Amino acid sequence: MRPYQTKYIENAREILKLDDFFVVPVVVYEPWYEEQVHRAQRMRDLKRENMALLSENLFPELEELHAASPDQIRDLEAFADVLMDWSANLDPGVYVVIHDALLSLYRFKKDRNNIIKELYKLGMGLYYLNRSLNGIEKRWTAPFRFRNEMVFTEAGSYLKFFEQIEDKDTRGYIIRALANIAICAQDHKRRIAVSQQVLNIVRDDYYRQLQPDLPWDVFLRRTNQQMSANRDTLSRGNLTTQELAAVLESCYEVFKPEADNPDPNIRWLWPYYEMEYSCGFVDLQTTMERLERLIDQSSEDRYDTSSMYGSVQLSVYYGLLMRRDESLQTKLRYTKFLTHAYAKMMRVLLSCPVDKIDNYTHYLICYVLTDYLEIDGVEPFAQIVPKLMRRFSGSMYVRSAQAADLMALLTGVIFDSDPAFFDDIPLLREANPEGKRAAVTDFGAKCGLFHDLGLFKMNLLRIMRTRDLFEREDQMARLHTVAARDDLRRCPSTAPYADVVYGHHSWYSGAGGYPEDYVRNDNPCRQMTDVLSVVAYLLDHFQGDPEEVLNQVRTLARKRFSPLVTAYLEEEAVQQGVSRILTNEEPYYRRLYDGLTDRI
Amino acid sequence: MSREYAVVNKITGEIVSRSAGFDEAAVSERMELSEGRELLLCGENELSRVNLELLEKLQEAQEANRAKEVFLSNMSHDIRTPMNAIVGMTALAKKHIDEKARVADALNKIEVASAHLLSLINDVLDMSRINAGKMNLSNELFSLSDLLHDTLTLIRPQMEQKNHDFQFLIGDIHVENLFGDPLRLRQIIVNILNNAVKYTEQGGKISFQVYEEAPTDTCPLVFVCQDNGIGMSASFLQRIFDPFERVSSSTISKVEGTGLGMSIVKKLIEAMHGEIFVESELGKGTKVTIRVPLKYETIKVETAALAGKRLLIIEGDETMQAVYHRYLDDFDVSFKLVASASEAIAALTDADFRSESFHGVIIGSRMEHTGNVFDLGGYLSKSFPQLTLVLVSEDNWDDIEYRANRNGIHHFIPLPVFRKSLLNGLNQAFLSAGEQEGASGTPDLAGKRILLVEDNFINREIAYELLGSTNAQVDTAENGAEALEKFAKGPEGQYDLILMDIQMPVMDGYTAVRHIRALDREDAKRVKIYAMTANAFAEDIQKARDAGMDGHIAKPIDIQLLMQVLRQFQ
Repeated sequence: MRPYQTKYIENAREILKLDDFFVVPVVVYEPWYEEQVHRAQRMRDLKRENMALLSENLFPELEELHAASPDQIRDLEAFADVLMDWSANLDPGVYVVIHDALLSLYRFKKDRNNIIKELYKLGMGLYYLNRSLNGIEKRWTAPFRFRNEMVFTEAGSYLKFFEQIEDKDTRGYIIRALANIAICAQDHKRRIAVSQQVLNIVRDDYYRQLQPDLPWDVFLRRTNQQMSANRDTLSRGNLTTQELAAVLESCYEVFKPEADNPDPNIRWLWPYYEMEYSCGFVDLQTTMERLERLIDQSSEDRYDTSSMYGSVQLSVYYGLLMRRDESLQTKLRYTKFLTHAYAKMMRVLLSCPVDKIDNYTHYLICYVLTDYLEIDGVEPFAQIVPKLMRRFSGSMYVRSAQAADLMALLTGVIFDSDPAFFDDIPLLREANPEGKRAAVTDFGAKCGLFHDLGLFKMNLLRIMRTRDLFEREDQMARLHTVAARDDLRRCPSTAPYADVVYGHHSWYSGAGGYPEDYVRNDNPCRQMTDVLSVVAYLLDHFQGDPEEVLNQVRTLARKRFSPLVTAYLEEEAVQQGVSRILTNEEPYYRRLYDGLTDRI
Repeated sequence: MSREYAVVNKITGEIVSRSAGFDEAAVSERMELSEGRELLLCGENELSRVNLELLEKLQEAQEANRAKEVFLSNMSHDIRTPMNAIVGMTALAKKHIDEKARVADALNKIEVASAHLLSLINDVLDMSRINAGKMNLSNELFSLSDLLHDTLTLIRPQMEQKNHDFQFLIGDIHVENLFGDPLRLRQIIVNILNNAVKYTEQGGKISFQVYEEAPTDTCPLVFVCQDNGIGMSASFLQRIFDPFERVSSSTISKVEGTGLGMSIVKKLIEAMHGEIFVESELGKGTKVTIRVPLKYETIKVETAALAGKRLLIIEGDETMQAVYHRYLDDFDVSFKLVASASEAIAALTDADFRSESFHGVIIGSRMEHTGNVFDLGGYLSKSFPQLTLVLVSEDNWDDIEYRANRNGIHHFIPLPVFRKSLLNGLNQAFLSAGEQEGASGTPDLAGKRILLVEDNFINREIAYELLGSTNAQVDTAENGAEALEKFAKGPEGQYDLILMDIQMPVMDGYTAVRHIRALDREDAKRVKIYAMTANAFAEDIQKARDAGMDGHIAKPIDIQLLMQVLRQFQ
């Protein structure tokens, strides 16, 4: 590898270690705080260095790819491969950029075998990148996943020429690409059809004999796993008899041995139970009982994948079944268990040691945020979110707490001057006059606290700490407002803030911003949203000089920001307040510390 | 007392006074009596007929009066409702005059209310014009395809709002250029479809079918609109064409309208020498059939550019697949129909591998599984740049053109697709592609001049080679300063396009573009400038836009993307 590549990897690894999967502090506050300041500074330095490494080395190298030597290309591929490592997940974005460039090169050269290889690799990169879209409604993520599916489809479509293509690796890429269509296809019937096609191929002696040294049995096992992943559609997917049989057969193939195992692994046992429920072999009550048993059996202190699966994923699934069958929410037996399961889930998540936190942990957090069922008795979602944020993204918490204070400051000032300003929000309009100011500032603070929930869920922060986002990632990141809106809406304790959070990157004039289909006048909380968009801008663009960022906001009044809000920034007390919050992060680290040590 | 009673009384009196007389006299008197009885009976019959008539007239008058009262009450309510909105919203807008968003909100509502009010007034005026015999129909040439596309575009949002399952079925239509009054015909169809939408509940079914009967000197067009909505009672069905009548129902909460629509429709159809039939059953739905004879023009379909072309059609809708077969089977063009994006990719790679590439792809109205037409267009134009992409859509081209062009789709055929519009549209697409592209699928830019700014020798050579294949005149510069000098010293309008590397010695691309845009000459503002960079940071791409560039092309030079950009300059 080239020196810049080695350095980039080294930096990315250090950032990962420095990253704020905060250990519950065992030291007193002051040294802990100093350590955080040091970490944050170090991460900023590493990020700056990484950006320079890419801009000064990688991009010029890609620009001159037509003249690149085979060694250079090999190094690029090796660099990309390290960044794509599944468990570390250092930087799939750079992997995608490299393979996109290589694909262009080989298309230009009309080098078919390399085109197929690069299509496969690009597909894999896109797949890993697209995982940050998990838990976001399909209609928003469809364009990203569609491209992924088409890339694999194009590579897989060379199957027709399997015989003519006499290269083993290329043949392997074709089969793998074909199978991988099923991991990104959005339509379950297509997923089943593709998996069935691949199962037929990998069982077919014609293909096996053409290239006997390909790992056909591995292909077969993985394809069965992919097919079995469709088990949730058994009862809800309107499947034909053939489709049903295909999914069932794979489920038996994959999960039955574990079900028969006297000491089964929960990760394989539950899918078998789930399949039995989806097919109607067992009823809902039995399934709930099975879930209860598995959740209770899961260890609270091992933190291995199986225990985390049992304690966290199955608890969320328990709630999901209660969401699907609302009658369960009125039965004490189930609500009591859900309260118990959620409490265990949170204990396990919050105490998870740093060295056990990986992509799967993030997947679990995303799952909790997406499907949390807030009913009487369980901890409100509004309390869950800051806890998870503190534990798994301290810097996000600090930033959100700053946003909350800025919101409280601005909404308070606006209320003092115009008590009816936020009356478009029924909750505030109907508030008791004596407590109305507190209600307004509290509402504003909550909007600030939750405004970047989507980014937290999408796990783009790690990339953002390693380097700035690429354009493709930036497009994805724009979905964070939608992701947050949908999650907040689902729970009564956070639902009132959903519309405000949804619009906080929109422009007052409608001439820019996102989401694209946002219509300011349709937002029932648009005045509050106007305040939050100013606050988000202040935090995003603050570079050390509060006066400078305030000036930027002023110049964007009427275009990006509501003039009714920016007018308040002229008041000296407001400027001082904004400046104090932006320049002094210490109180927010204090809150983080207190939260992590259970002082709040 | 009526005349008949007076006659009867007189006769009866005479009979009584003569009854004591002779037999003969008695006979004759009996005869008179019998006549009198007959007369009496006649009188009674006449009397009841007249009474009946009077009663009917009274009922008619009462009915007319009732209808007018209902109309007045409806009108007063219907006019007052939007007027209230206009008055109220105007007051609100004035109160919040400094708050742009609130004013905009109020104006939007005023706009909607005004449009509604206008339609009410138009209906009333139409009716009064028809009643006064002052309705004149125009007789102009129009395209049935355009008329139906416009009509459906107008009505579809309402259907989507109510989540209606809408089916549009086209029978075999040979005559698409017709003479008549397209505005009034559209008014008729919109009215019928509007009623179907109004009186069909959420999620209901509506179908609209058009076909032609064998043309003679005129072409009788038949439109059939069928829904499974609330339907009408037999008694209402008899009054459906009476003015001011509206169906009322507890399930359809607030149906707006004057109750004049169907009267107007009937009168318009009669004026076109057509017929309208309505069948309906309460709770089951309604079927409206309209038959209108129209004069037509036979136009030869131009298909020269289509000869020998291979087409891939992506269409998941079976009805539409049948339409393509019907229109293209008897025509000399080879085509393959697939239902999904993935099948399309497979067919395209297959064809490429066999060196039998397709010339064009029709992206149809519906795809199986997943995928959005624009995403698919983007993928196809990047991976298979030789293809001419044609979009068939119910949308208005003006609304989607920008997005379509950005995704490599430059040709459009509106839905509903007719034989002529399909063949002409395809011919046009291949004609322009043929005029503009050489055999290799590259655009022909003869007469255009491009400034290529690139410091790297190999990249410059490759780009020069690629650009040269387009027949454009290509000048090169090795850095931003040189590019600026060439642009500034050249005559106004010399360059159509500048392709600008970003990282270069002496002067980088951003600086060069900023200087070019700041030059005091007309073409400095409008010349298209594209960045060529491998830099993938969102912020840098934004920086290129901020510097005044119109877009960017990824490096290593993505030939497909470059060609896509160049096509804009044909």
